[in-house]
Amino acid sequence: MNIVEEVLEITLRSLVVSGTATLLASAWSLPLAYILAKPGRLRSLMASILEALVGIPTVLLGLALYMLFSRSGILGFLHLLYTVRAIVVGQAILITPLIAVTACRVLKSARESFEEMALALGADDLQAMAIALREALPGITSSVVMGFSRAVGELGIALMLGGNIRGTTRVLTTAIALSVSMGEYELALYLGGILVAISVLVSLTVRLLKGVQGL
Amino acid sequence: MAERFEEKYNHVRFEFIAVGTGRALKLAERGDVCAVFVHAPSLEEAYAEKGVIVGGRIFAYNYFVIVGPSSDPAGVRGAKSAAEAFSRIYRAGEGGRALFVSRGDNSGTHVRELSIWRLAGLDPHGRPWYKEAGQGMAETLVMTNEMMAYTLSDISTFLSLKKRGRLPNLEVLYSGGEELINIYSAYLVESCGGAERMYAEKFIEFVAGPEGQEIIASYGEEEFGRPLFSPAASRLQELKALWEKLAGAQG
Repeated sequence: MNIVEEVLEITLRSLVVSGTATLLASAWSLPLAYILAKPGRLRSLMASILEALVGIPTVLLGLALYMLFSRSGILGFLHLLYTVRAIVVGQAILITPLIAVTACRVLKSARESFEEMALALGADDLQAMAIALREALPGITSSVVMGFSRAVGELGIALMLGGNIRGTTRVLTTAIALSVSMGEYELALYLGGILVAISVLVSLTVRLLKGVQGL
Repeated sequence: MAERFEEKYNHVRFEFIAVGTGRALKLAERGDVCAVFVHAPSLEEAYAEKGVIVGGRIFAYNYFVIVGPSSDPAGVRGAKSAAEAFSRIYRAGEGGRALFVSRGDNSGTHVRELSIWRLAGLDPHGRPWYKEAGQGMAETLVMTNEMMAYTLSDISTFLSLKKRGRLPNLEVLYSGGEELINIYSAYLVESCGGAERMYAEKFIEFVAGPEGQEIIASYGEEEFGRPLFSPAASRLQELKALWEKLAGAQG
């Protein structure tokens, strides 16, 4: 395999791994955000905790999950360690606070301005929720895009859970770390360029889609 | 050693960056460091030819070790040479009975591993049982332990992780011999100048001289029950010949 093919393969793997992690994280973070958006003391306490966890060091989460997934860890029987599935799970957990917190904020303001109004105008609970969700959609997609950007750009989890194995678990960030450790700074910058381009492209594409759909 | 040196020259302070040989030499090329301590003869020769590093001094040696699971499915314990050990791992790998984790990072250890595969006349790249980790020695050993695989390691990293209980599944299965000798050299970086250069030069002298050699001879004994390195001074001619051989063979 030549270097161009290998870079392509690594790029594709990064997209698939972090894309899957983002979908997975959204599947539980968005309902969580909806629940947290309702008023309540306990809910606001949970939201504060999640806010604090947005910046959790990836290497710390990577280490904690490594201990769980390792042969001697309690989830060792799953044989997840050093697979892309492990990276997906790790990144999904990593970006959960970010997606939940940012989506929660949008949902809160949508609920306050639209759901209550809809209810007052005679809509039932389900209809009111649908209206609030539709109003919040642009903000929610932004949350999801941010989540993807954080996932695709993180290093600690991919390195500790994936192991940077050539041809199976090497992604853009671990390839950059390897290039740096080998003194291949030009290659590292080139890979970094691809990484940034992906994040920007995904963000622009989503914005474009929003425009098309009139969101 | 730096502590002892700083006792003699108490206005001098050293700063150390611990990186693999490949990166150390790149740092030298960029002029970011004044001296390098490295262990990959073929890379050293390439950078010496480019004029990046000068005044090489061999100051220590030890042996790489082939480590693997105690069950040793490939039968490395019975091998007569490192190349034979690698051949056995290759065969076991093809038979689905063994895995090998490679550093895959152009470090001194990785360069040596590749040269042993060449000696064995085998190319493991792209085989499903051959995992290129692209990480440091400690991470590679931890991965090898998890996978119940084989790898080539330097003795010091292996012993320090083993002692901390991080490698319960791994044992040294093969060591020693010319093929696994690990020769450490110190060089001055040509682009370094002034007082920095002067003290870097003095420090290399110190390391290769009687005081430094004495420290090397006992380093690690307290912690591991055996020294991690052997001083080079008493076997210098022999080591130089081996170094030449390695530089040529790995080019």
